Amino acid sequence: MIKWLDFMNPKADWEPKLVGFLCKWCSYAGADLAGTSRKKYPANMRVIKVPCSSRVDSLFILKALRLGFDGILVSGCHPGECHYQTGNYRARRRIAITKRFLEYLGVEPERIQASWVSASEGGKFADVVTEVTKGVKEVGPNRLFAERQGNGTKAKKRG
Amino acid sequence: MLKDREMEQKLRNEARTLLEQGKVDWIIGFEAGSLKFSTTPLITKDKNDTERLVINPFIVNNLADFLTGIKGRVGIVVKGCDSRSIVSLIQDNKVVREDVVILGVPCTGLIDLSKVEKLTGKYRDELDDITRQGNKVTIRVNGQKKEFPATDVLFDHCLACELPTPKEYDILLGEPSSPIANPLAQESIEKLKQMTPEQRWGAWEKELSRCIRCYACRNVCPACFCQRCFVEETEPQWVFPAPRWQDNLMFQIIRNIHVAGRCTDCGECERACPVNIPLRSLTREMYDIVDELFQFKAGMDKDAPPLLTHYEEEEAEGIFR
Repeated sequence: MIKWLDFMNPKADWEPKLVGFLCKWCSYAGADLAGTSRKKYPANMRVIKVPCSSRVDSLFILKALRLGFDGILVSGCHPGECHYQTGNYRARRRIAITKRFLEYLGVEPERIQASWVSASEGGKFADVVTEVTKGVKEVGPNRLFAERQGNGTKAKKRG
Repeated sequence: MLKDREMEQKLRNEARTLLEQGKVDWIIGFEAGSLKFSTTPLITKDKNDTERLVINPFIVNNLADFLTGIKGRVGIVVKGCDSRSIVSLIQDNKVVREDVVILGVPCTGLIDLSKVEKLTGKYRDELDDITRQGNKVTIRVNGQKKEFPATDVLFDHCLACELPTPKEYDILLGEPSSPIANPLAQESIEKLKQMTPEQRWGAWEKELSRCIRCYACRNVCPACFCQRCFVEETEPQWVFPAPRWQDNLMFQIIRNIHVAGRCTDCGECERACPVNIPLRSLTREMYDIVDELFQFKAGMDKDAPPLLTHYEEEEAEGIFR
């Protein structure tokens, strides 16, 4: 796991690293369908299966940025189709304020993405990942929390 | 000033009666502080202590913060912003409305002593007197009188105040006052918004590298009522405890997201900050985002459900693909 977290190395042929929080009932199944129907999409996203899109705390998004991920995708069932009736409505409010607030602070809007993908939308899932990867590629590597020279805080390397 | 004196007398009488009749176990109010002009919270069970209660333009603390840590029925002195904090706590089931007797103070804005110091170039101890009449503030230094427009010395959050008179109260101590609504209050936020994202992030990096992680902003906030804060979690450790700007910024971002829909823009976090980080530029923007996206204003309606436990079927759709 540490190996693909070596985000500190500036590489010439840079590829964005994304993390995707996919809801178990819809989007994860949608990703499965994209795989079984052999849809092609960029392999930049590491998927984390969550029980519901409302399981995604704003902390997860911040922590991913802090660890150096270049983009975050939160994906869940379409409104009204949540397995737990109202989970995705709650997730929508939380993610909306998180995204808007981070934009105000200076995080590029392309880095934090959200989508509704149902279990039957393998094609849509492939499209979403392609678009998100393309958007993140345009804004470049995540240097938000990186140490800069001359800002006075010299952090030790953490094992 | 005379009006404040009248309110003060009325407050003392009301507080004494409440304690004598056993309607409340505690009175939370303000008394004169040990430093010149300053006030400090007074929490008492003794009816004789009510003579020490004061009302003046320096009653800065948001006393709603003490409500979650106190047992029994409480009589509490509140300004407009504090009353909204109490309503917000009622919405979150942290406070029972029937257990609180709200003594409302119609507020006309609080005087920021650090602004006064900057304007006059003198420390607060050297000033003789500060009086306010309407839109003018008179400051006496060494026998000389200086007049300033009130908007120059009021707190930023008071300039932006929407509800100076408490909305929820049992006893109102004076005539309702009207909001000031001065565009100066939004100046710092507008300035930030005109920057590019990199500049904005850089500005916050610079501000937050001063942070010493004393958590005064959290402890003074009535909306921050978690039993255990996420910064103290060790399993997993979300935020590193050392005061490093990355972790300081992460703490502030998450704190603001946690109090979204509870923050009433009372400006206590910025006032409490020992290193003068402009925290209100964060909280106020969150307040405006919540208002714009969900037409929700914290602490306005005690029967409304809290922001993040409620939803509408169609809202914020533009954010999702």
